[in-house]
Amino acid sequence: MRRPIAIALVLLSAIPLVVAVAGLPAHGDPSAPVHTHVSAHYIERGAEEAGATNLVTGVLLNYRGLDAAGEVTVIFTALIAVLAILLGTGTTPESTASSRGASDRRGADRESTVAPVSPIVSFVVRLLAPFIALYAAYVILHGHVTPGGGFQGGAILAGLFIALAMVLGTRAMQPVARTALAPWLQGAAVLSFVVVGTVGAFLTGFFLGFPAEPPLHLVRELLIIALEVGIAIGGAAVLATIFLHMEAS
Amino acid sequence: MTGTEDIRIAVVVGLACAGALFFILGTVGLLRLPDFFSRIHAATKCDTVGAGLLLAALAVLNGAQPATAKIVVLAGLVLLSSPTTGHALARAAHRTGLVPYHAEKE
Amino acid sequence: MSLTFDILLLLYLVAAALVVAQAKDLLAASIVFSSYGLALCLLWQYRGAPDVAMAEAAVGAGITTVLFLVAIGRTTRREK
Repeated sequence: MRRPIAIALVLLSAIPLVVAVAGLPAHGDPSAPVHTHVSAHYIERGAEEAGATNLVTGVLLNYRGLDAAGEVTVIFTALIAVLAILLGTGTTPESTASSRGASDRRGADRESTVAPVSPIVSFVVRLLAPFIALYAAYVILHGHVTPGGGFQGGAILAGLFIALAMVLGTRAMQPVARTALAPWLQGAAVLSFVVVGTVGAFLTGFFLGFPAEPPLHLVRELLIIALEVGIAIGGAAVLATIFLHMEAS
Repeated sequence: MTGTEDIRIAVVVGLACAGALFFILGTVGLLRLPDFFSRIHAATKCDTVGAGLLLAALAVLNGAQPATAKIVVLAGLVLLSSPTTGHALARAAHRTGLVPYHAEKE
Repeated sequence: MSLTFDILLLLYLVAAALVVAQAKDLLAASIVFSSYGLALCLLWQYRGAPDVAMAEAAVGAGITTVLFLVAIGRTTRREK
């Protein structure tokens, strides 16, 4: 009985979507609203107005910087909530270490099923790690010129951290993850928006304003890079910490 | 159209066809071979040799340009990562006690 | 020609989404979901959105799969 109802509901909600998509202008239609309003201005003037050759970064961080700030705040609040749930279950690395005697049997079971790390995988990951880190740094720092940016580079950094944690063991990663800096790194994305926004407010009078006069072009570029680096560090730190707590719990 | 240009195009076509052949063989092997280990063996060949040859064809086609260096780096990455993946998968299967297929046991 | 590639990728996306929704084996569902992310990444790159494609490749096909696998390792592999 539930299945026909589910299918009927799916069809019922699909029909308006299909009708709406059918009403959209054709892909690449030059008279579509997308191409006749702000896009033309962005494409013609974006590179000099926003200070980013990569128009996506220019729109994301400069034209709609306030939206990006709100978006980053929402995403990182959600990620911190996930971390809070992981920490709140009482299975943090310290608590497992202290209650190791109680859950000794479970630990022993786990030890027998998890194979030691393959030396070949370990070697290849450690060989590639510096190159992955270089690529992540390139994606982050070059995000305003070529495709990429803070989110992408941060995800690559987090992936590198996870790969290293798998090869070297999560225990080897604890000194990195448990520094006093860790909360600051996890909040780096939102903090960078606050700092850059305040600097922009002093320079232009608007929060997150970017100076557009030619003498300050270097400052504008540095502000955009600071945002990218902040987003990347925040994303990488939060994702890696979530992984570590899931592994260690 | 000089003679060397003809040879270059011939090399590109040869490498690309060999790469495509390896991809076809790897896919057929993935679908037809009897057990996990032999399938992993076929799939890893397909990734390593097939993609390597196709990237080599692209590098020759591009000639001496900056983009060629990127293709060579990419080929190196594929040659490193793909066998490692195959090894890790086969090792995990072996460690969890998967027994390889033997025709005479049937 | 370009439309054929698009349609093939879109059909693959629909098929992969159905497989992920139906699969009882959560490990298989995670891997198919990873391939879904890869196809989506290809489609975005092909449609001229390399920024989104990079994010999808790193997050969709990479990190979420790892987190799913860790979660499956912590719980059960079969959907009840």
